Amino acid sequence: MVKFTLNSEAVTSESPPDTPLLWVLREELQLIGTKFGCGIAQCGACTVHLDGSAARACVTPVTAVENRHVTTIEGLATPVGAALKSSWEAEQVPQCGYCQSGQIMQAATLLEGNPAPSDAEIVSHMNGHLCRCMAYPRIKRAIAAAGSELVQGEGSNE
Amino acid sequence: MNKPIAALSRRQFVVGAAGSSLVLGLGSALGGCQPDQATSDLVSQGGSASFSPVMWFKIDANGAITMNIVRAEMGQHVGTALAQVIADELGAAWEDVSIQHVDTDPKWGYMVTGGSWSVHTSFTQLSQAGAAGRIVLTEAGARMMGVAPEACRVEGSRVHSGSASVTFAEIIQAGAVSRSFSQEELDALPIKTPAERTIVGRDVPALDVPAKSDGTAQYGLDIHRPGMVYGIPLIPPTRYGAAVRGIDESAAESLPGYLGAVLIEDPTSTLQGWVVVAAETMPVALKAAQAVQVDWQPGETASVSEADLLAEGSRLARDPSSGTLVVDDGDVDAARATAATQLDATYRTATALHFTLEPQNAVVEFDDVGQCHIYAGNQWQSLILPLLAQVLDLPETNIIIHQQYLGGGYGRRLFGDQMIPAVLASRALGRPLKLIFDREADSRFDCARSPTVCTFAASFSEQGALTGVEHAAVAGWPTLSMAPGFMAPGVAGEGKFDGFSISGADHWYTMPAHRVRAVNNELAQKTFLPGWLRAVGSGWTGWGVESFMDEMAHEMGEDPVAFRLALLDGQGKNAGGEGSTVGGATRLRAVLKDVAERSGWGRALPANEGLGVAVCHGQERGMPTWIACVAHVAVVPETGEIAVKKLWQTIDVGTVVNPSGAMAQAEGAALWGLSLALHEGAEFELGQVKQRNLDTYKPLRMADVPELDIIFVDSDAFPSGLGEPPLIPVAPAIGNAVFAATGQRVRDLPIRLA
Ligand code: FES
Ligand code: FES
Repeated sequence: MVKFTLNSEAVTSESPPDTPLLWVLREELQLIGTKFGCGIAQCGACTVHLDGSAARACVTPVTAVENRHVTTIEGLATPVGAALKSSWEAEQVPQCGYCQSGQIMQAATLLEGNPAPSDAEIVSHMNGHLCRCMAYPRIKRAIAAAGSELVQGEGSNE
Repeated sequence: MNKPIAALSRRQFVVGAAGSSLVLGLGSALGGCQPDQATSDLVSQGGSASFSPVMWFKIDANGAITMNIVRAEMGQHVGTALAQVIADELGAAWEDVSIQHVDTDPKWGYMVTGGSWSVHTSFTQLSQAGAAGRIVLTEAGARMMGVAPEACRVEGSRVHSGSASVTFAEIIQAGAVSRSFSQEELDALPIKTPAERTIVGRDVPALDVPAKSDGTAQYGLDIHRPGMVYGIPLIPPTRYGAAVRGIDESAAESLPGYLGAVLIEDPTSTLQGWVVVAAETMPVALKAAQAVQVDWQPGETASVSEADLLAEGSRLARDPSSGTLVVDDGDVDAARATAATQLDATYRTATALHFTLEPQNAVVEFDDVGQCHIYAGNQWQSLILPLLAQVLDLPETNIIIHQQYLGGGYGRRLFGDQMIPAVLASRALGRPLKLIFDREADSRFDCARSPTVCTFAASFSEQGALTGVEHAAVAGWPTLSMAPGFMAPGVAGEGKFDGFSISGADHWYTMPAHRVRAVNNELAQKTFLPGWLRAVGSGWTGWGVESFMDEMAHEMGEDPVAFRLALLDGQGKNAGGEGSTVGGATRLRAVLKDVAERSGWGRALPANEGLGVAVCHGQERGMPTWIACVAHVAVVPETGEIAVKKLWQTIDVGTVVNPSGAMAQAEGAALWGLSLALHEGAEFELGQVKQRNLDTYKPLRMADVPELDIIFVDSDAFPSGLGEPPLIPVAPAIGNAVFAATGQRVRDLPIRLA
């Protein structure tokens, strides 16, 4: 039995301790936004936040998240998350959409620390994520757009 | 080529009130069915023995318009584009429109999504459906306002007469509307001229994007059914002919919730020697899949390698008696016999994987009235349903595929063969079951793009003029294994060929003599299931044709753009005809001129850099999408590393229904072309693909995306298809640019400079 915090709520997993977090989320807790792509930490479709940092749920055993905070796309309720979701719509990013939860989760960890990333910073942060539909140009544009919206939003609050 | 389009001639378009909604759809006028009955059956959505109603869309009393989408959503936002076509003719306000992807039912006619056909094949029919709806609403609205229908116009979900108007909602609330149209009446309906369209051609946001931007979009892998158990397939060492000698479950039996290993006995022999391991939970199923040991007798292709497949391809290409004639214009043999000079070349492509990011899966549930429910994303329901009916020995109508979003299609999900082990395992266990392929299993089970060999032989006269070209293309043929009914007859009246595997070879250049032979690689056919991979045959014929065009231009001392322009004269069979072929090769000529100009063709570049050009007509001569592409590459001479700096494309697809969606498709397809040219490529080893996951199979990542400069020609010609064509010219444009940069000719995909 493993207890952890999932999207701000306390949860308990009954799965064997070596079960990848991905399957605990998807099949035991039925949060389907986190996707299975490769299973070997090479595609990024399963990306979640573990205490605020991006982690690949397919290679994270559920015991490793004991007493820690896990955030999935469903719980990404931060201003950065909202900005990304709305820029994803504005730029019409998704094609099949299957990679996009992971892309957004990964992008969020970039913008949290750096809302005005350069092109090269976006690429190096996102390069571990496969988009098989090759929607890369729009993913890149939407991250930059979400960043500028966050920067502007901050400016107007001051 | 045959397109699977439902015959609609005996159907009537009917409009009727259903409770407080208005439904608009097709009723088959079979067996003397009366229009009234058609309407009431449509309205009840029940249907009768003689009548199967199809509801295209309905308008509720509150004005909400729901459109049923028969095509699969796999990233192309097809529902949005098709809804735009209806909504425009209907005069709907776009905000009122929503879509629904439908489950299988015979009433939908032939269900397939592929070949970049969706908009092309539906445009007229959906326009007519929308126009019929507009006429009915106009008549009813005119009556309510006490004016003549001719005095009314429809816009924004309202019927207007001067400054007065009534909304669709008010018309529907006011009462029953009933009307039917014969096919002749439908054909005669006034369809909007391009200038009158307000929703077609507009960048309306795609209706599937919000759910795909917040994690709520549901794919096959996301389905949960009550009481569901988990299955993981154990895949035999060869695609065909493998037999299970024994299953050792001893290491799995103690796992809590282990349900057993099911031997899959598929009466259709589509799958041979499969085992599905099942458990109550996913973690246990994963462990059991590791623990269960299967002893297989492999099939006869257990030692086949990529080199074997290519060697067989080369042998067949050189054998003039092999294959089927697809093009036979002029006298190639005479040109050869009298040639002053000749130019021969061989182009090859390696095995390539679909690698849909969502691995294969299916959820199956048998209900208590004997129906089998399958939840999965699928591109060709009408292909797999009859096969499943045989597998289960059930009538087709007892099997229902509940369509989900597809986490990538690219042709992989044209064949729903993963449903076979899922339905058999679920039935054997007597439980609803989710079958999940891990990535390695998905790759081994992929219907990969066949390795291919194309040979070309050109003849030139004493004066240096081109006198003839002969082309042979050898590949595994998807259509032969999966849909043999769609094989096309050869031009000489002999033999059949897979049109999808040779399209592109029948290009729009005017040739003095031209012969094309399509040849099946039987060793490939025996070793694996060749698949339709995005752009299918044009992915390899285009590589050969456009690389060889470049070689011929250089042989003749001509500029590659000028050489092509001269052959794109739009004469004879290349003049084009009606519909999307209007203008013929002159449209290809126009896009080539445009892309040459925009890319600065002919300009000086730094050392080790070059521009390369290629064109394509999409997949089919009957549905051409005219594209010209220029690639700018830089080569590092020491390492042979190739960087694509920029890709230009000029695309004439006729009418563009949704420019933003079209651009996304064009960018995605062009980057696929780049990925296949430089980054992908697999090999068969011991009868199966060796590269099975992203540690060895490496599609393009963000860091290698070049600058893209893609434009669409402003055109109101009949719409063609876009999901695949922009892929086609990219690899040859890159190969030709590598030649321009280095003087080294590359003839194999993926391109590797030694
Ligand atoms: S599924 Fe975890 S990185 Fe691919
Ligand atoms: S949108 Fe399909 S994989 Fe990224």
